[in-house]
This record gives sequence, structure tokens and C-alpha cells, in this order.
Amino acid sequence: MKGKGPLLGTAGEKVLMSGNEAVARGCLEAGVSVVTAYPGTPATNVVEALGEVAPDLGFWAEFSVNEAVAIEVAAGAAFSGVRAMMATKMLGVNLIADALTVVTVTGVRAGLVIVTADDPQQFSSQNAEDTRFYGMLAKAPVLEPADGQEAKDMAKYAFELSEQLELPVFLRITPRICHSSFPVELGELTKPKRDGKFVKDKKRFVMISTYSRPRQKLLREKMEKAKLINDQNRWNRIVDFQNGKQFPKGAVFNTFGIIASGLTYPYVEEVVEVLGLSARVLKLATTFPMPENLIGSFIRELDQVMIVEEGDNVTEMQVRALAQHRRLTARIIGKDDNILPWSGELNPDIVGDALGKVFGKKFREELTEPYVEAEKLIQPRIPALCAGCPHRASYFAIKEAIRKKGKGGSVMGDRGCYNQGAYEPLEGMDTCICMGASIAMASGVFHSGSSEPSLAVIGDGTFYHAGIPSLLNAVHNRSNITVLIFDNSITAMTGHQVNPGSGQNLMGRPAPFTNLKKVVEALGVEHVRVINSFDTKALVAAVMEEVDYDGPSVLISRSPCALVVERNLRKRKLKMPVAVVDVDKCTGCKVCMKKIGCPAFGWSQDPKPHMEVLSHCNGCGLCMQTCPFNAISIPGKKEGVLGMTIRKEVPK
Amino acid sequence: MNIVLAGVGGNGVVLTTRIIAEAALKEGTDVRVGEVHGLAQRGGTVVSHLRIGPDAKGVLVPQRKGDMLLAFEPLEALRQLKLLKKGAKVILNNEPFIGVDSHLGLSKYPDVCQIVERIQATQDLVDVDATHLAIQAGSVIMTNVVMLGTLSASNELPISRDSLLAAIKARVPQTMVEANFKAFELGEKAFRDWQAARVCEPHPDLSN
Ligand SMILES: Cc1ncc(C[n+]2csc(CCOP(=O)(O)OP(=O)(O)O)c2C)c(N)n1
Repeated sequence: MKGKGPLLGTAGEKVLMSGNEAVARGCLEAGVSVVTAYPGTPATNVVEALGEVAPDLGFWAEFSVNEAVAIEVAAGAAFSGVRAMMATKMLGVNLIADALTVVTVTGVRAGLVIVTADDPQQFSSQNAEDTRFYGMLAKAPVLEPADGQEAKDMAKYAFELSEQLELPVFLRITPRICHSSFPVELGELTKPKRDGKFVKDKKRFVMISTYSRPRQKLLREKMEKAKLINDQNRWNRIVDFQNGKQFPKGAVFNTFGIIASGLTYPYVEEVVEVLGLSARVLKLATTFPMPENLIGSFIRELDQVMIVEEGDNVTEMQVRALAQHRRLTARIIGKDDNILPWSGELNPDIVGDALGKVFGKKFREELTEPYVEAEKLIQPRIPALCAGCPHRASYFAIKEAIRKKGKGGSVMGDRGCYNQGAYEPLEGMDTCICMGASIAMASGVFHSGSSEPSLAVIGDGTFYHAGIPSLLNAVHNRSNITVLIFDNSITAMTGHQVNPGSGQNLMGRPAPFTNLKKVVEALGVEHVRVINSFDTKALVAAVMEEVDYDGPSVLISRSPCALVVERNLRKRKLKMPVAVVDVDKCTGCKVCMKKIGCPAFGWSQDPKPHMEVLSHCNGCGLCMQTCPFNAISIPGKKEGVLGMTIRKEVPK
Repeated sequence: MNIVLAGVGGNGVVLTTRIIAEAALKEGTDVRVGEVHGLAQRGGTVVSHLRIGPDAKGVLVPQRKGDMLLAFEPLEALRQLKLLKKGAKVILNNEPFIGVDSHLGLSKYPDVCQIVERIQATQDLVDVDATHLAIQAGSVIMTNVVMLGTLSASNELPISRDSLLAAIKARVPQTMVEANFKAFELGEKAFRDWQAARVCEPHPDLSN
């Protein structure tokens, strides 16, 4: 994408923006002073976009080492009287909970907005948790936009609400907001404040129990105030439909109602219009705390109300409780009746199925026989590591070492691009739970009394994020484990974000280059080695030795991400080396493919069955080591060292 | 109007969708774009939903309500078939992307002719050799622009050729504008050639 895109467009202009860009713009219109985040799809680009413009506009934007740190930096700024935003994918909200549940007790002095991207369809997440529960747990209001315009406007408003209540506020979005694009009319930018100052107030900010306990009452009062504010929220809107035509509230009579939260509203609107339904619809933007008077009076006039929401039955539960509390008799339907599904994202067809059931109509167009026949041919695509990915070489070596040792062994995995190595043919890691889990779980396997070698695999980004405490724990508690840190010096999985090992910060400024080996040594690990990921021989030998060592050992398998190497080569107008297959020597046994599963391999029958190398090979050379017939080579390069030599040519 | 764009990572699906959407918005038409690209890596399924005009409501095209499919890869075309109305046009680049899983026998990439047949059973298929036309124009990376040319020539879009060209120009490096316009024209020509050839072929049976 060229330039800074629509983020800095002029007020009044209508531009095409992704939901993430819209949220970022909303923050700029609010005059945000401090922005923090840890990368996580689908929220990452909110802050990437802001990082690019921060130096010019004069505010601070950072990728913090993890979400817990990010919220604390942001809260520190908000304590000091300037507006702060923290962005994370929903899994990161688990990490911020410790701070958040106390920051709601202290409250904030300037707006603190937490942008959380939930992923109900699990496009790129280990679970499908609903972060609205964290709003309820910590007592922080939750706002949910229905489209890009609202994402921008509500991001800005979230700061105002946060200041009105002196509470952190969640803006909950999902991939269908983040990665969708909408026309958005821009507002005025606000100059960020840079004169923060922390004014001491121990009874408010020193949350030892003596000072914290009395503040619980205040928090309760804030929740009551928030409900009244939410009753008036301008994005909570009631409209009446008669035979699919829209009328202002009350212009026509309805007995059936729908509460549609966040981005489900456009789905509901489409289904109601297409099917020509008659219903009163409440478009709900404030999903916590509930605008009780608004919802109470909405359901009082109806016989039946359907709750449409993505994620868990958060609104449904609250509406049921409210109805019981206010002795309202309307029948409330939704997930509890299995009219709407419990898992996965919603879409117009699913909402159509649910409303269709109630009204005895059909929204979803059936798939007739030829479509069903066509569907039968469809195959899933199993993701693979990229061509030239150093993780492939590392897995190849670990597998070789375990095979040669012949004692079995488990590899506790972590979260990163290396997850692709769990698929066939590499099957190189045996678990993926959450960021940082690998090392501690390997300790657990060891302490279980297992006689097999216990290994862990973790990326450099994930090691900085959550691996350091668990490695220290392994040292302190004498775990006999072998840890491989796959160091590509970047956070690749989420789209190449910087981390403490990248030598650069989010705003593109030089940052201290963390010496990973020294960090590991300082934690007390006595066996630490740095090995080039493509030096298979050395890596295999090292794994075999360290598995025998009685104590925690660390092997840093280092080589830059292949996509970064490619990009650098292209920038320098250098040609990518590619492997070639000697058709006479290749027997078509596919051993290369079966050992490393590289996507740059193709297959040809002409003139006889043989492997071929496709255009996106970048000459890492790993395949050369796998061929029993020496049929693969890289012209002009020596065998086996190729991955290393190319990578040395490329500057950091 | 509902348009679906499908391909694999690296095909330029997202960029192509943005170009059309920006052109539409410049002409004052309402638009929504919904995208799924999962992981940023190459070779994964990518699909985007583009809704123009009165259909621009939610970001997702409901099942069998799509008016058109621009497919950069045969298997990905098949995957999105269920979103199309019967008889809706499919512009297909018939260059398959066969992944590691197929080579290892973990899944089986269907025969491309069979894919084409299945698509033709319900849709009006225009297949273009976009990859090779792009190479002819200068580089395989302009495959998506060839496809845009074909789409434009099909006259199905409520967006003018000039607006599309302007949107392309705004997106590509200055030095590449000419080559991209050439790719666009080759795509247009491909559509005209297809039309000419079709005169002698029986029209696909769309009765069931
Ligand atoms: C708590 C949490 N935050 C963020 C993410 C998103 N995420 C998945 S993997 C990853 C980082 C991977 O980086 P690294 O370990 O360096 O591996 P690489 O992808 O570079 O190989 C991130 C941020 C997540 N899954 N969980």
C-alpha cells in the first residue's frame, strides 16, 4: 500500500477504510497521546497504522513486550492525565486482567481505551473466548460498533465515556470489523497532549487492601451511572419494520422484537428486509453494562424478543435477568434455545435461519444438486511453512536428532509461525496452548517422571513475551529440558512486527538490540549455543548432546525469516538463487517432499515423473540434504551451506 | 451488486478488491468489503466479498446471492461457488496452485477440467489464461490486473473503465503504470476473444 493511506485524510472527506484503520483514525480524532499494543491478529494493524504516523503527529506508540506490560504502560499514561489506548487480540485480554481488575478500582484520570479483537470464528486464535466477560469481571464498559463509521466514531467516544466514568472502556471488534472495509466520513484530528504529570494520591493509586476496599462501593456507583449513560447512547437505536419496510420507532405496531448487538445489526436488517418481516429492532452498541431502562421498556411492549449476538450468550443472560427482575413476561429466545448457534461467527444466512424458523420463512437459498455435486470436489488446504523458512530446517534437525537418539521424546510447542510445522510431514511440535507455555510444560513433562527426553520449541518473539519467567523457573527448579528458541529476529506470524531482538521500535526508530544469548545466560542456563538454523549437522549434534545433559539447556536456532530475506534481496535488486532438479537423476521417489514438505516443490510427468522446483523457491538448500540420489543442486553454490551463505549476504 | 473474489495468498485478492471498491466509492456508490485472509502466509485460501450499491449492507454475501465471481485459482473458485446465483458469471484464471498436502497425498487436488465442468454446470464461465497474459505484459504479479481488465470488459460492473484505471494508477508504483495498463488491456482482449469463441459453442444449460 502506498503512503499513509486514508489515516490522515482531511475532515469531511469520505474514504474507504478498514475497521482497524477506522479505529486508529478515531483515536487520532480523540487526540490520543500514548498507544501501546502487542501484535495479535486481527487487531495488529490498528497500532501498526498509528506507529507510522506517531513521530509526525507527536504522540508515543509502542509494541510492548506483552499485553500485560502494554496495559500497564497505557494505564500509567492515563494516570498521568493523557489519553491512552491499548490494543490486543482477545487472548491478550487474559494477560491484562490482573492489572485491569485493579485499574477499574483506581479509575483513570484521562481516557483509557482497550481495543479488543475477538475471533469467534477462530480464523487465527487458539480459542474463541468472549472478552465481554472481562468487562463484567473488571467492571469496565464495553462498546461494540456495527460498521467502519461507528468503529471510528465510537473509538473517539470511548475516550469521552472513559473520562466521564473515570473507568477504562473496552471497544470490542471482530475480524468482520477489523478486516472489512467501509466508507468512512472523517472528523477533525485533535492535537495530542504531551504534558502528562502523575499527581500523587495514595488512597486512590496505592491499592493495598486498606485503600482498595472502600473503593469497591465507588465502582458499584460507577456501574449504575454507566447504565444511565448507556440508556442515552446515540448508537443504541430502535427502529420498527413492517413487512420489511423501515419506520421510526412507534410508527407501526409490533409484538416481536430483536436485540442485535454490534455488527450483527446489518445482518438482521438485511434478513428482515429481504424476508419482509415485521419486527421492532433494538440495535445495541453498549453491551456492558446494559442500558437497563432502554431494554426494559423495549421488551415491556413485546411478546417475544430474539437476542442476536456473536460470542457467548452475554446479552441474553443479562436480558433474561433483567426481565425476571422487572417482572416482564416477554419470551426471550436466542442461544439458550439453540435457535442461534453457540460457536462460530454469525452471518446473514445464520441469522436468516433463526428468524426464518420463527416466521416460517426461508432466507437461505438452498444449494441445488449441481452445487452439492461441486461441493464434493472441494478439498481443504493444509497450511505449510513458507519456502525457505528456517523453522523447517530446525524441525528437520530436531527430528533427525530424536530419531538418531532412539529414546523417543516430546516437543512442547508454543505459538508462532512454527505452528505450521505441526502438520505433516514435519509433525515437529506436540502441543500449542498459549504463548509461553512450551518451556514450563516441558518442565512439567520432566517432573512427571517421564523417561523420554523433554524438549520445548519457542520463537524469539514468544520467548520475550512469556518465555523468560518459565526458563528462569526451569533453572530454579532444575528441569532437565532442552529448549530450542527459533530466532528469526522478528514476530513473523502476525505480519512481521518488531520485537526486542529486531533493533528497531514500532515507530521505525533504532532500539537496543537485545542479546538473546546473554539474556538466557543471565537467567542461569549453563548450556547455551547459537547455531545457524540451516547448519543441520551442527544442530542435530547439539540436540543429541543437550538431551543427555542433566539440566536445562538452550539452543538458539537463528536465521532470518525467509520472507524478510526475499524482501531484502528484492530491494537490493539481487536475484534469488533457486534449486534445480536433475531430471535424469530424480527417480520421483518424493523423499525430499516427504521429509520437508516444501511448497516450492512441484511435480511433473514430462518426460518422466520427477520433482520440479517452482518459481517461489528461494534457494535455502535444505532439500539438497534430503535427496538420496543427489538430484537437487543450486547452480554455482556448494551443497549444504547455501542457506547460511545467502543469509550472511543480507544485512540485518 | 454482490461480487466475490477468491484465490490463494499471493494472488492479490485483497488488493484487487480494494481497487474495485475505491473506484466504486469515487463514483459515489456505496460499498462494503469483507475479507478473510487468515494467516499472512502464501498459499492459504483468501476470499473477499464486495458489495456495491443497495446491497452494501453487512459485509458478507449470503449463500447464492452473489452476482459474480472473480477467481484467481480453480479450486478456490469451486470453494466459493455456493455464494453464487445460478447463471452468475465466473471469471477464472485457470492456473492451479497445488499445495504440499496434495503432493503428499494428504488431500487430492481435483482435476482442473473436472472443476471447470462443475462450475459450468451452474455458472457462466469465462476462463482466462491470466497468469500467462501477465507474464506477457511484463510480470506475473500483474495477473490480478489482467483479471480486472477481463472483468471490466464483461460490462457487468457498475463502474466505468476510467475509474478502474484511475484506481489502479493510484495503487501501483509510477514506473509500473504503463505495464499495468497493458495487462489490463490484455485482460479486456481476453474477454473479447472468449466472446467471439463462444458464438460457435452451445450455451451452457442453465435450466436446472
Ligand atoms: C496472548 C497472545 N497474544 C498474541 C497472540 C498472537 N500471536 C500468535 S503467534 C505470535 C508471535 C509469534 O512470534 P515468534 O514467537 O517470534 O514466532 P514467529 O512467528 O516469528 O516464528 C503472536 C503475537 C496470541 N496468540 N496470544
